[in-house]
Amino acid sequence: MTLILALETSCDDTCAAVVSADGELRSNVISSQGVHDAFGGVVPEIASRHHLELANAVVDDALRRADATLDDVGLVAVTQGPGLVGALLVGVATAKAIAAARGLPLAPVDHLQGHIAANFLRIGADSGAGGIMAPPFVCLLASGGHTLLARVEQYDGFSVLGRTLDDAAGEAFDKGARLLGLPFPGGPALERLARDGDPHAFAFPIARNLDGLDFSFAGVKTSLLYRVRDLGPQDAAAHAADLAASFQHAIVEALALRCEQALEQTGLRRLAIGGGVAANGPLRTRLEQLAVTVGIPPRELCTDNAAMIASAARFVDAQPFPAYLSLDAYASGERALA
Amino acid sequence: MIVLGFDTATPATAVALLDDTHPAAAAELRHEPAAGERPGHASQLLALAAQLLATTGLRFTDVDRLAVGLGPGTFTGLRIGVATARALAQSTSAELVGVSTLHALALPAESAAERAGADFGVLAVIDARRGEAFAAGWRGGRAVLEQVALAPAKLARRVAEEGGSWLAVGDGALRFRDDLERAGCTIPTDGSEQHAVSARAVCRLALEAPQGTARDLVVPDYLRPPDAVLASPPKKPSS
Ligand SMILES: Nc1ncnc2c1ncn2[C@@H]1O[C@H](COP(=O)(O)OP(=O)(O)OP(=O)(O)O)[C@@H](O)[C@H]1O
Repeated sequence: MTLILALETSCDDTCAAVVSADGELRSNVISSQGVHDAFGGVVPEIASRHHLELANAVVDDALRRADATLDDVGLVAVTQGPGLVGALLVGVATAKAIAAARGLPLAPVDHLQGHIAANFLRIGADSGAGGIMAPPFVCLLASGGHTLLARVEQYDGFSVLGRTLDDAAGEAFDKGARLLGLPFPGGPALERLARDGDPHAFAFPIARNLDGLDFSFAGVKTSLLYRVRDLGPQDAAAHAADLAASFQHAIVEALALRCEQALEQTGLRRLAIGGGVAANGPLRTRLEQLAVTVGIPPRELCTDNAAMIASAARFVDAQPFPAYLSLDAYASGERALA
Repeated sequence: MIVLGFDTATPATAVALLDDTHPAAAAELRHEPAAGERPGHASQLLALAAQLLATTGLRFTDVDRLAVGLGPGTFTGLRIGVATARALAQSTSAELVGVSTLHALALPAESAAERAGADFGVLAVIDARRGEAFAAGWRGGRAVLEQVALAPAKLARRVAEEGGSWLAVGDGALRFRDDLERAGCTIPTDGSEQHAVSARAVCRLALEAPQGTARDLVVPDYLRPPDAVLASPPKKPSS
C-alpha cells in the first residue's frame, strides 16, 4: 500500500492528510488555531509558533485515522507557497525531514493548485475515477487571500482567466462583517445575519464594468462603509440584517456573473468552486442555478486542508531523495521552478 | 551512541555528527551567510546534515540521538531547526534532546577555562536585534546568570553586579562590545571562532542528558512574546 502524506501550513490552520496513490481520501486533519480571532485577523508569528507545536501531532493523527503508519507512506507532499512564509517554513521543514529520514520522494505543491486539485479527490459518492470533477472545467477560487477564476484543462496546472485587482472575496466578507460589528472570521457571521435581511434593501456596486474576467471588491466595501456612516449607529444597527444581505448579494452577484462569463468564453459546461467562500449558502444556490454541472467539494475540502495538497501531489513531478533537501518556501507569486 | 546535532538560532547554520566512542573526532559543517545575505537555515540545514552523514557512510536512521539548539535567537531560524529535529525524530527511532544555544555558545570557552584552571566566567551573548541581547553566564560549571533578553547597558550592569572577570563571546558580544568592555568583560577579537555557536557543543551538551525528551515538549526558547502584528493581506499571485 503506497500512501501520500501531505502537510499544509500556509496560514493559520495546521493540516495533515493521507490520500491513496489513486486519489482516495483516507484522512484529513485540520487543527484550527482559534487564538487569532481575538486579534481580528491572523498574527503570523503566533500562527508559526502554533504550527511548530502542532505539526507532528497532526501528522500522527492523520496517519492514525488512515489506519496507517509512516511505513505505508510512499510520497510526502507539502505546500511550498504562496502564504505566510514563516508559517510555510514549518510545514516545509517538517515534510522534508520526515521524507529525508526515510529516503522518500517529496512533492512541493502550490497552494492554489491544491485548491483546484481538491476536485480530483475521490470520496464516498464521488469515488468515480475522476473524483468530484475531472478536467476540463472552470474553477472559481474564493478565499480570504485569493479570488481567482481558472481554466483547468489538465490535472497538473491551470490558466488564470481573471483575479481580483484589490481585496479577495473572503477579505471583503471579513471587512464588511467588521463594519457591521461582527466577529472575525466575518464570512459565516455575515451570512447568518443576512438570513433575516432583504438583499435588495440597499444597492451596492457589483463592478460589472471591469474589463475581462477580473474582480474588484474595494468598491462594495467602501460603499458599505459610507452607508453605515450615513445611517448613523442606531439606524445602521436597526438595518444590520438588510445591510448584510445586500452586501452579500453584491459579492455573490459579482462572483456569479464572472463565472457565467467565464463559462461562456471558454465554452466549458462545468464549474467547480473552492476556497472558504465556497461555504457561502447563497453563493452555492446562485451557482447551482446556472445551466451547467457544478461541483462543490465538501466544506472541509474547500477551506485550507492538506488532502487537496496530497491530491495535487499525484500530478506533480516529485523530487527524489536527496534532491529536495535545499527546498525553500515562497511567500508570493507563482510556484518557483526549482 | 551517534548524535546528530544542529543549531539555527543565529544567522549561521551549524551541523555536527558525534560518535560518543570518539567524541573528540566530531565533525562539523557550517553555513555562514555573506554580509547582506539572508540566513540559509531553510536550504542548508538538512542538506548539510545529509552531507555529514554521507561522509561517514551513515543514514538518518543510524542516528541514536538528535540534538537541537532551542535558542534564544531568530524566531524563524529556531523553528526551522526545531521542526527539522522533531520531524526527524518522528520519522526515525532517534531520541530528541533540546539544549540551550547560549550554553552551547559558552561551552568551548568554559571548557578551556576549566582546563587552564582559570577563574573567569563565560558570558554568552547573542544579538537579539531591536537593540537587545540574549545572554546567559556560566562560572566554574555553574549557571550564574539566567537566560535574559536585555538592553546592552542593563546587561553590562548585571555583569558588573555579578563581579569577577568575564569572557564574553557571541555575535552579541561583538555587537555590544563597548558596553560589555566597559563593564569589565574581555572579548576575543572579531574573527575568533569563539563567537560562533558550535554544533559540536550542541552534541556534547545533549550527550549529558540521561535520556531523550518527549517530542512535543521540545519547543524553542523564544524569550520574547510574539508581536501581535496582523498579516497583511496575502499578495496576489502575478501571472
Ligand atoms: N459562509 C461564508 N460566507 C462567506 N465567506 C465565508 C464563509 N465561510 C468562510 N468564509 C470566508 O472564507 C475565508 C476563509 O477561507 P479559507 O479557509 O480558504 O482560508 P484563507 O486562509 O483565506 O485561505 P487562502 O490561504 O487559501 O487564501 C474567510 O475570509 C471567511 O470569511
